[in-house]
Amino acid sequence: MSLIRISKIPSRAIRAASTATRPAGRGSQTGFTCSTTRNHSTTSSVSADELSHFSALASSWWDPMGPSRILHLMNPLRHEFIASCLAESPPPTTPVAGATGTPSSSPPPPANLHYLDIGCGGGIFAESLARTIPLDPSAPAPTATRAASMTAVDPSTMLIQVAREHARLDPTVDTHLRSGKFKYLNTTLEDLLASPSSSTSPGPAPAPAPAPASSSSTPSTSNTVPSHPQFDMVTLFEVIEHIDPQTTTPQTFLSHCLRALKPGGWLIGSTISRTFPSWLLNQVIAEAPWPIGVVPRGTHEWSKFVNPPELQAWAQEGLMRAADSATTRGGASALEGTRWKCMGTIYVPGLGWKMVSGSESWGNYFWAVKKGV
Amino acid sequence: MRLLTQPTLRAYVCPSCRHGVISGRRRLATQAGPTPDIYDVVCVGGGPAGLGLLAALRASPVTSKLKVALIESQDLNKARSWTMDSNQFSNRVSSLTPSSKAFLERIGAWEHIEQERVQDYQEMQVWDGESGSRISFDWTMDTPAFEEMRTVATMTENSNLVRGLLKRIAASGDENLKLFSNTTVAGIENGVDLGPQGPDLSAWPILSLKPSGPTSEAQASSQIAARLLIGADGINSPVRSFADIPTNGWDYNRHGVVATLALADPDTPPFPPYLRTAYQRFLPSLGGPIALLPLPNNHATLVWSTTPEHAAYLKSLPSSAFLAMVNAAFRLSMTDLKFMMDVKTPSSEQTSHEDELSWRVQHTPIPAQVPPMANAVQSGSIASFPLRFRHAAQYISPRVALVGDAAHVIHPLAGQGLNLGIGDVASLSQTIEYAVSHGMDIGDLLTLERYSSERYLTNAKIGGACDLLHKMYNVPGQGPVTWARSFGLDVIDKLPFVKSFLMKNAQG
Repeated sequence: MSLIRISKIPSRAIRAASTATRPAGRGSQTGFTCSTTRNHSTTSSVSADELSHFSALASSWWDPMGPSRILHLMNPLRHEFIASCLAESPPPTTPVAGATGTPSSSPPPPANLHYLDIGCGGGIFAESLARTIPLDPSAPAPTATRAASMTAVDPSTMLIQVAREHARLDPTVDTHLRSGKFKYLNTTLEDLLASPSSSTSPGPAPAPAPAPASSSSTPSTSNTVPSHPQFDMVTLFEVIEHIDPQTTTPQTFLSHCLRALKPGGWLIGSTISRTFPSWLLNQVIAEAPWPIGVVPRGTHEWSKFVNPPELQAWAQEGLMRAADSATTRGGASALEGTRWKCMGTIYVPGLGWKMVSGSESWGNYFWAVKKGV
Repeated sequence: MRLLTQPTLRAYVCPSCRHGVISGRRRLATQAGPTPDIYDVVCVGGGPAGLGLLAALRASPVTSKLKVALIESQDLNKARSWTMDSNQFSNRVSSLTPSSKAFLERIGAWEHIEQERVQDYQEMQVWDGESGSRISFDWTMDTPAFEEMRTVATMTENSNLVRGLLKRIAASGDENLKLFSNTTVAGIENGVDLGPQGPDLSAWPILSLKPSGPTSEAQASSQIAARLLIGADGINSPVRSFADIPTNGWDYNRHGVVATLALADPDTPPFPPYLRTAYQRFLPSLGGPIALLPLPNNHATLVWSTTPEHAAYLKSLPSSAFLAMVNAAFRLSMTDLKFMMDVKTPSSEQTSHEDELSWRVQHTPIPAQVPPMANAVQSGSIASFPLRFRHAAQYISPRVALVGDAAHVIHPLAGQGLNLGIGDVASLSQTIEYAVSHGMDIGDLLTLERYSSERYLTNAKIGGACDLLHKMYNVPGQGPVTWARSFGLDVIDKLPFVKSFLMKNAQG
C-alpha cells in the first residue's frame, strides 16, 4: 500500500512576516525578526521563500480541487483529535449560566471554550471551528469541540484577507464575525501576547467589527491575572515545521504558544516527523510532479520537520518557561498535572486521512500538551 | 453514458485543465431582492426519497437542529390522510430490501408504517420462459436449520411508506421545520452579495416559491435560500437543471403494466405457513419479464414489462381476459403467448382468452414453481408507465445534491429503484451528520463528495446489471444467447456461495 504523508502548505506562521506598520522594536524585543518593510529578503531568505510560496497559493486556498485539497481533507481529523483531548481531560472552565464547572457531570456540556488558532492561513480550521459556535450562547455545545469563540491569527495580510472574504460566504460564520465571537487578526503571536489582555484585537489591522462581545473571549484567571490574553484552547496546525530557524527556535515559539494558554488548557497541533520514511513520502513522492505529487513543490523542508520526542521536550521546557514570572522561575513544578498526547495520521490515496496509532515516526502526526492547573 | 464522476476523474486530469472539466454553471442573479429566509437543507420533492432524507435528518441528534424545508407541489395533507380498504391495495408498490427496511427502522419511520398492509417474502422464483431454466433465491444457505427463513424483501405500498415518513417527521415536532405543501418552485437563481450589511450569498441557491393550491403555506413570491439544496424531484428534476448537471440514458421502448390481483388459494399450502414467494418469468419474445409479488390477504401486485403495443393491448382487455393473459404468461410457451397477444377482442367473444388458456394449458407441461392462479383484478388498478434508464453525470454540485430518481432511473426488473433512492438518502444523511459534527459546511463540495463516491458506482453497478439482464432476456428463440444465459442461471442456482454473493450484492 502506498502511503503518502504531507503537511500543509507553508504559509501559516511565517515567523518573519510582519506587517508594514508595526514598530520594529516590539518584534525584536520578543526575539523574533521583524522588519518595517515588506521586503523580506533583507531579513530572512527562508521566510521570503515561504511567503512568496503561499502568496501564489492564496487565490486557490479554498478551491476544493486546488493545491490545498489535501489540507482540506485533513481538517475533520483535527476536530476529532481535539474532541479526543477534551474527552480525556477537559479544561476547568468558568461556569456559564446554568452550567456546572465540571463538564463531565452534566451530560450536554456547554459551549464555553475560547480558542486561539495560530497561523490560521486562509482559515480552513478556524472557519470550520467557528461554524460550530452556537448562535445562542446558552445552548448546549453542538459538537464535542465546545467552541464559544475563535480568535485566529496569521502574519500574512493576504491570507487573512482570503480568510475574511471566505468567511462572508457563510451567513452563520458571518454572524459570528460581526458579533466578535470569531475574529481574524493580522498579527503575530508575539504581538498578540504583547497586547493588553482587555483587547485581543491589536496590531495595525484590527478586526473590522471589534464588537462588545470580544471581551467575553478574553479569559480571566484566578489569582494572577496575566497582562496578555489567554485561551482555553490554542491550536497550531501544520505550523511548527515552517518556523524560520535562523530567527527563532521552535522552543521559543512553543513557549510563547503556552503563554497564551490558560491553566488546564490544551495546546494542540500537528506536524511531520523528521525520519527517512517521511523524507521519502513528503519530499520525494508528495512533491513529485503531477500526477504523482499531491503537494505543491517547495512546500516542505525536511530539515525543519520535528520528531515527537523533540516536541515533547520543547513543550516541557516551554511549560516551565511559561510559568516564569519577573521574580520567580517555573521549574519542574510547572509540569505537574500536564499531559502529553500524540497520534500518527496517514494519508491513503483513495481513502483519505486515517489516524493510525503508533505511526507518529512515519510522517504526519497530531500532538497535544495540556497545561497544569 | 457517462459513468465517471468528477471526483473519480480528478486524479487523471491535469490541474490546469480542471477548470475546463468543472462545467460552467448557473445563471447570474438578476436583482437584489429582500433578504431570503435561510435554511440549512431545502429538499425539493416530497416523495419517498425526499421525505426519507428529512426524516433521517430529524431523527439524528446531530442533525435534528438543522433548519430544514421541503417543497412539494402536491397536497401533503392528502398523502398524510391516505386510507384504503384492507382488501384493496394501491398499484404503486415497492419491494424494500432488508437494508432499506433497516434504515427505515433506524430513523424511526418503520413503526409509523401500517404493518397490516406490508408483506415480507422469503423466496423468489425466477425462470426463463424460453428455455425453462430456473433459479430460486432464498436465504436458506445462510440460515441455520430450525431458524425462521430470512426475508428476501418486503412489499410496501408507496402511499403507506410516504404516509409513515410524514408521520415520523410530524413526530419530530415542528421546530426548525417547514413543509411547503401545494407549492411549486417558480425559479432557482443564485443569490447576491449583501455587501457590508450581510453575508455574500452569490453562490447560494435562492428558490422562488409559488403556491399551487389553496392550502399552500408559501406566500406569493416568497424566497428561501439553501445552504444545501436537495433535488429529490424526479426524472425531470428542476434542481438538476439549475445545477447544469447533464443526464444520460435511453428509453427502453417498454412499458410496465401494473395491477393489483387477488390470487386463488395455492394447491399445496406453503410450508412453513408464513412462507411467501415472489415470481418472475422472463418472456423474451414479449419484451420483458412478468413478475407477481405478494401482498397481504393472498393478494399480489403485478409488474409486466412489455412493448408499448402489448401494454396497450393488455390495458384494453376486459378484466377476465386480462387475468387469462396474466395466468397464461406464467404458464404457456412463447408461441402460445404471442398467439394470444393477437387474439382480437370483439365484444361478442368475451371468453376467447379464457378458452384459449384452458385449452392450451392442457397441452403444456407446467413447471412446479408457477404462482397460484390470479382470479380477480382490483378495478381501476391496471395502469402502465414507460421504462427508462437515466443516470445523472454527477450527483453533486456546490450546494446541490441529487437523490433518487433525479439522479438515476433504472429498469424495474430487479425491484431496485426505490432501494437505490433509500440508499442515497442513508448515505447523504450520514454525510451531512459527519459534516455537522466536524464543522464542515454541508453544502461544500468537499462535504458532498463523500456522498457521491459512496453512491455513484453502486448505483451505476446495479442500474447496469438491470440493463444487462433486460438486454440478455430480450433475445428470443433458442440461439447461443438463450443457451448461455440458461447455462449461467443453472450454474448459479447450483453454487450456493455464488448465489449468496449475488443476493448480498442485490441487497445493497
